[in-house]
Amino acid sequence: MAYIEFKNINKFYGDNHVLKGINLKIEKGQFVTLLGPSGCGKSTLLRSLAGLEAVTDGQIILDGEDITTKEPKDRNIGMVFQQYSLFPNMTVEENLAFGLKLKKLPQEEIHERISKAIKIVELEGKEKAYPSNLSGGQQQRVALARGIVMQPKVLLLDEPLSAIDAKLRKSLQLSIREIHDKLGLTTIFVTHDQDEAMVMSDVIHLFHDGVIEQSGTPVEVYTRPVTSFAASFIGNYNIFEADKIAKLTGTEWKTKVAIRPETIMMSKAPIANDDRFKMEGVIKEHIARGNVLRYTIDVGGIEVYADALFRSVSIFQDGEKVYLSIAEHNCVAI
Amino acid sequence: METNKKGAKLAIVVIIAYLLIPLAMTLIYSLFEEWIDVLPKRFTLTAYMEIFSDPVFWLSVGRTVLISIVPILLCTIIVLLAMYVTYIYKPEWDKYVQILCTIPYAVQGVILPICVLSLYTSVPKPFNNRIFLLISTYMIVILPYIYQGIRNNLHGIGANKLIEAAQMLGASKFYAFFHVVVPNIMNGVTVSIMLAMAIVFGDFVIVNTLAGGHFQTAQMYLYDVMKKSGQRTCAVIVVLFVVTLLISACAFFIQRKKERGTENGVH
Amino acid sequence: MKQKKTYLLALIPFLVLCVLFELIPIIYTIIRSFVPEGEDFGFTLANYINIFTKPLYQKAIVNSLIISILSSIIGLIVAFIGAKAVHESKGKLNNIFMSILNMVSNFSGVPLAFAYIIMFGNVGVMTMIGSNYGIEFLANFPLYSIFGLLLIYVYFQIPLSTLLLIPAFDAIRKEWKESNALLGGTNFTFWTKIGVPILMPSILSTFSVLFANALAAYASAYALLMNNVSLLPIRLSEQFVGDLVQRPEFGSAIAVVLMVFMIAAIMIQNKLTVKKGI
Repeated sequence: MAYIEFKNINKFYGDNHVLKGINLKIEKGQFVTLLGPSGCGKSTLLRSLAGLEAVTDGQIILDGEDITTKEPKDRNIGMVFQQYSLFPNMTVEENLAFGLKLKKLPQEEIHERISKAIKIVELEGKEKAYPSNLSGGQQQRVALARGIVMQPKVLLLDEPLSAIDAKLRKSLQLSIREIHDKLGLTTIFVTHDQDEAMVMSDVIHLFHDGVIEQSGTPVEVYTRPVTSFAASFIGNYNIFEADKIAKLTGTEWKTKVAIRPETIMMSKAPIANDDRFKMEGVIKEHIARGNVLRYTIDVGGIEVYADALFRSVSIFQDGEKVYLSIAEHNCVAI
Repeated sequence: METNKKGAKLAIVVIIAYLLIPLAMTLIYSLFEEWIDVLPKRFTLTAYMEIFSDPVFWLSVGRTVLISIVPILLCTIIVLLAMYVTYIYKPEWDKYVQILCTIPYAVQGVILPICVLSLYTSVPKPFNNRIFLLISTYMIVILPYIYQGIRNNLHGIGANKLIEAAQMLGASKFYAFFHVVVPNIMNGVTVSIMLAMAIVFGDFVIVNTLAGGHFQTAQMYLYDVMKKSGQRTCAVIVVLFVVTLLISACAFFIQRKKERGTENGVH
Repeated sequence: MKQKKTYLLALIPFLVLCVLFELIPIIYTIIRSFVPEGEDFGFTLANYINIFTKPLYQKAIVNSLIISILSSIIGLIVAFIGAKAVHESKGKLNNIFMSILNMVSNFSGVPLAFAYIIMFGNVGVMTMIGSNYGIEFLANFPLYSIFGLLLIYVYFQIPLSTLLLIPAFDAIRKEWKESNALLGGTNFTFWTKIGVPILMPSILSTFSVLFANALAAYASAYALLMNNVSLLPIRLSEQFVGDLVQRPEFGSAIAVVLMVFMIAAIMIQNKLTVKKGI
């Protein structure tokens, strides 16, 4: 039996149907990411597990117990919010002690747990500091420590890194994953950032418009999108209607096809490889995106996107003729 | 631009002078025995000695302090309890609470105490107790300020997020509101409380209407002295004004402390 | 998530307070204003007709409106000059100015009236100096009149209106002034065509605050002239307290008229602000 199970969850805000019959199972110890654009229902599902939102109907099971109607305080779930939500009038130590005191734990145990948690998030020496004297990254570490110090059944992270600047985010992603591995804590992470989801998760559940579009490991979700939304949200796939891909490849297709831009090979001369689909086009424009050049290519009136590494041997000019080839296994029917 | 700035400075100085002259005259008048020509004559502190040695004065100041603190404390508690409901459970009711807290603006000054007086003079005890009426009326008068102060600060600190965080750590909503949110907004709310305090402290019309001679506050004492001695009246005005200033100064410093606190939070 | 409604108990003290000391007194006063004088029940408009036809009360209405509107306008003009000056000059003087405004905003009511009495009263300092040196205007200063009262009202309107207007000037951005100058506008065209229109909502709402403040003011007038001045708050109060025969039904009607003026000021301001679409 799964550790956490959502059974047919529906949620309405007035007439707005934000969760449409969600069924989801999460195994103990997993690092699970709920990924999707804003307003897709991922945060609502997380908050309903926390008890901060009531579901309209359905059942939530945690560790064999139906918690659907329990108060948040009785669920033993830890949560870290986007805005840190540290108590500004309390020091780091007092923030961590807050929940432990409510649990009426003995003084020594409170002390012990706090110093352990502080060590895990590497904030030694900041015990007496107030949140306003800490940086955003440090505050989020305190929030994390405050979540794990309670030894919750599951740790929920609601876009915890979106208020933190890009450089720091990378290192916090790693520390969150490390803490998970160290403690073996079942963790559910909500984000709209696909790269973040790729880096951190064991399993990704891709949300769109109140339903789960696709579930799988990062590699599965990345390489085998099952819907056109999944293809466009993850990895900026080229998506072709059946008639267009037929025109491009010269073979018949029954469904839409998604092709990742970086799987399209570009060359200045025709290639002689019979396994691959081959086509000719003209470069329309190019944009630099980090270490990648994204070309827009006109192939007989159809726009195709292809990525090439910045440092690659051949750089194409706009208007230049280009030969493309695509391996059949990179054409994902959706 | 330069002349513009000079003009601006001049305008400010002129307004300052206009505002300070009556105050300065009152102060000087209280310190001299005679002032019938350009310069006052014979410096003296007798007026101050007289009022400081008058037990009636001290009693009236004591009553004023009492009558300021009780309604403000009660009003703050009552509004906090109401906001607990509207903030956490029934946000759609906030607009009605807001209306109730805005009505006092339309019955300012003499209107509300007259309405209260006309209704309650003929009702049985204890509702016609003058002190009870006075305290309740003051609570209504300061309601807009207390409500605004609490509301602004609740939104300012993002109270809903703090409540959620506390709940996830095992606190009930009630505990979260009164043990986490309230301590965090109290600094800001104190500013409104001080403002309310200055209003009640300076009130003459409500206490004169509702309590008449039954409850002599400092303002009533002042009104009595006015008929006896100009110099002593000025001394009382100066003393009361200094007390009011101290109250507002407290509010000001709390505000400053708060602003500095949030500044630290930015970097 | 159990839907226990016990939390509603927390609302009770607030509701009790508002119902007992806000709603019922106001509603009772409104109802009573329609009851014939000296009777317990009945309906009449006589109380209102009396207010608007008897010269004594007509005068009170006119005086109250004049003094409220004039003191608000003068207060606003001074506040505009003061707030504009604060906006244009940054520095220490601004801080001093703000502190003084905050300080003197507490100087009102009986103390303020008395300060004017010692300056311009019958034996006031200025009056004495005036008669000693033959300055007619000071010697015969008309303090105990509507004019004298207006002077006092203007005094307490200035700090209030300036404090309300200063934040509004933050909305005036430097770039607008620069664009105005680049397009060939003068300082005068800037304020008449851009500055004042932008500030209009704030000016109007400040005006309604000032108007209500002056209309209901009682203490300064009472301290200066006792009941010997025809103003609505004074006429209102004397129907309920004091030496005259008490006329609660008639007084209730005066209270309602005052409330209507107050609400009208707020409504007109809202209407004007909305129409401008700002």
